[in-house]
Amino acid sequence: MSGTKGIRLRKIKISEGVLSILPVIFILIFIRFYPMVMAIYRSFTNWNGLYRSDWIGLVNYIEIFTNSPFWKLLRNSLVLLLSVPLQLIIGILVAVLLYEEVRGWRFFRSIIYLPQIIAAITIGYLFRVAFSLDGPINIVLRDFGLNFLAIEWLGNTGTALFVLVFCLTWFSIGWMAIVILGGMSKISPEVFEAAKMDGANYWQRTFHVVIPMISRTIEYAIIMSMVWTLTSIFAFIYAITAGGPGYETSTIDYMIYTKFYQPGRPYGFASALAVILLIIILSITVVEMRITNKASEWE
Amino acid sequence: MLSKFNQKLTNLVIFLALLGLSISNLYPLFYMFMNSVKDRTDYYVNPFSVWGLKLTWENYLTMISQFKILNLFKNSFIISFFSIVLLLCIGIVASYAFAKLNFKGKNIIYLLVLATMFIPVQATILPLYMFFSKLHLVNTHWSVIFIYVGMFIPEVILLMTSGFRGIPDEMIEAAKLDGAGYFQVLRYVVVPMGRPAIILCIIFYFIVTWNDLFSPMILLQSMDKRTVMVALAALLSRYSGDPTFQFAGLVLASIPAILVYALFQRYIIKGISLGSTK
Repeated sequence: MSGTKGIRLRKIKISEGVLSILPVIFILIFIRFYPMVMAIYRSFTNWNGLYRSDWIGLVNYIEIFTNSPFWKLLRNSLVLLLSVPLQLIIGILVAVLLYEEVRGWRFFRSIIYLPQIIAAITIGYLFRVAFSLDGPINIVLRDFGLNFLAIEWLGNTGTALFVLVFCLTWFSIGWMAIVILGGMSKISPEVFEAAKMDGANYWQRTFHVVIPMISRTIEYAIIMSMVWTLTSIFAFIYAITAGGPGYETSTIDYMIYTKFYQPGRPYGFASALAVILLIIILSITVVEMRITNKASEWE
Repeated sequence: MLSKFNQKLTNLVIFLALLGLSISNLYPLFYMFMNSVKDRTDYYVNPFSVWGLKLTWENYLTMISQFKILNLFKNSFIISFFSIVLLLCIGIVASYAFAKLNFKGKNIIYLLVLATMFIPVQATILPLYMFFSKLHLVNTHWSVIFIYVGMFIPEVILLMTSGFRGIPDEMIEAAKLDGAGYFQVLRYVVVPMGRPAIILCIIFYFIVTWNDLFSPMILLQSMDKRTVMVALAALLSRYSGDPTFQFAGLVLASIPAILVYALFQRYIIKGISLGSTK
């Protein structure tokens, strides 16, 4: 008697669990999985968004690798990824400063995170104004007699990319610092006290105590920041350089956007770009996890 | 004695470093606000000037009367509101299942759900656009709402599942013994006990959806459906001659997110440090 009741209860439990996740499965299949599979399929066609969608094999990919600004886009992404180590280093330094809990640290913590609350388009516009030919940066440079430095920052490839790296770093420091601080809060304070007792100074504490103990947090922060840099900086580029001059500051995701509006609608080509972006992101995640696992084996 | 002095000096240095960093974060916002209430000529004479200016709210009045920014606010609010409602409804039941119920393949499904976080929205936007246009959803708020739900549901589930795991099983069992059904358990046990994670999701995804540009830019092209960020993006490329006007629009558009942050920043900072996504 009680046995059958138990089985029945368990049966209800099973269907409850499955029913509970049905909505999320449903939405992920329609909004994420189906479009991704379609993008992969369309990348082998000459799709124009309408009825033309003939199988053309690898033509789009060959076109991308041989006859498109793809390598330039990849170079730009690599340059922009330089902001990740910068964010990380500054973020760790700031987190260690916040950890000391000097007067007003809670206030500083909220202000340091503030850029993350401002829309990317707003921040991008502020940077565009700041680095424009007669903008604040050049005004200050001229005031200090550094006229030769007061250049057209956004008109040259090198300096325009530099401005973008600067902007992404400035934007992300707060996020990094808070994530690292979260990792540090899991270290017991005694470890710090012991290090202090042993006479370890600020730098030694940072490099020999903090960094090794939060390697998992650092790994997480690096992956997230790299993926973010490769996929989510559309609004910054749009506001600061609009990908120009030419394709000099565009990235893969920005080019997908420009293809959307291009006459003739080369959506098959754009889908192939999307697939390449997807592959890059997946490989970064996998490689990064492998490296960290290896590193923790050596420890 | 000496070490006490040293400690004080170190604290002072740290204080100054944090102060400098904070100023570097606050000054651009101050600059934006100051210049939004300036006359255009005053701006071109000296964008840094603070004192002795004739302040004008004209840019803001134009923003409201001609640019119809309040209508754009309404669009953004509708999208943020319904995205959050759907994220919560779907997220709470799914996270309850992942945290507290047992069923076959639970862990694998959980990992698969989280893995979709890494699919960039750009990789899916073209097929989605065509999919939505077949359903006549392009240029409706629903298209963006659905995309947001799909994009952010894995992060919401990650946050809520780890929050709900902390709810003691005994409380759920006790409620069931008292005859509580599935939805009553959710309403009287899971939601009240999981409140911190739920509040965090509401605040965080309000800010994220309010600020987002890419998806609404692709899907909302008609003037009366655009979000405030899409309209501002268009404004930035059109009125390039009038920065003070553009600043006024950007200031107005920043206010809702900053207000929410000012009121609830504790939750957000805690959530980020617990490892929610970027």
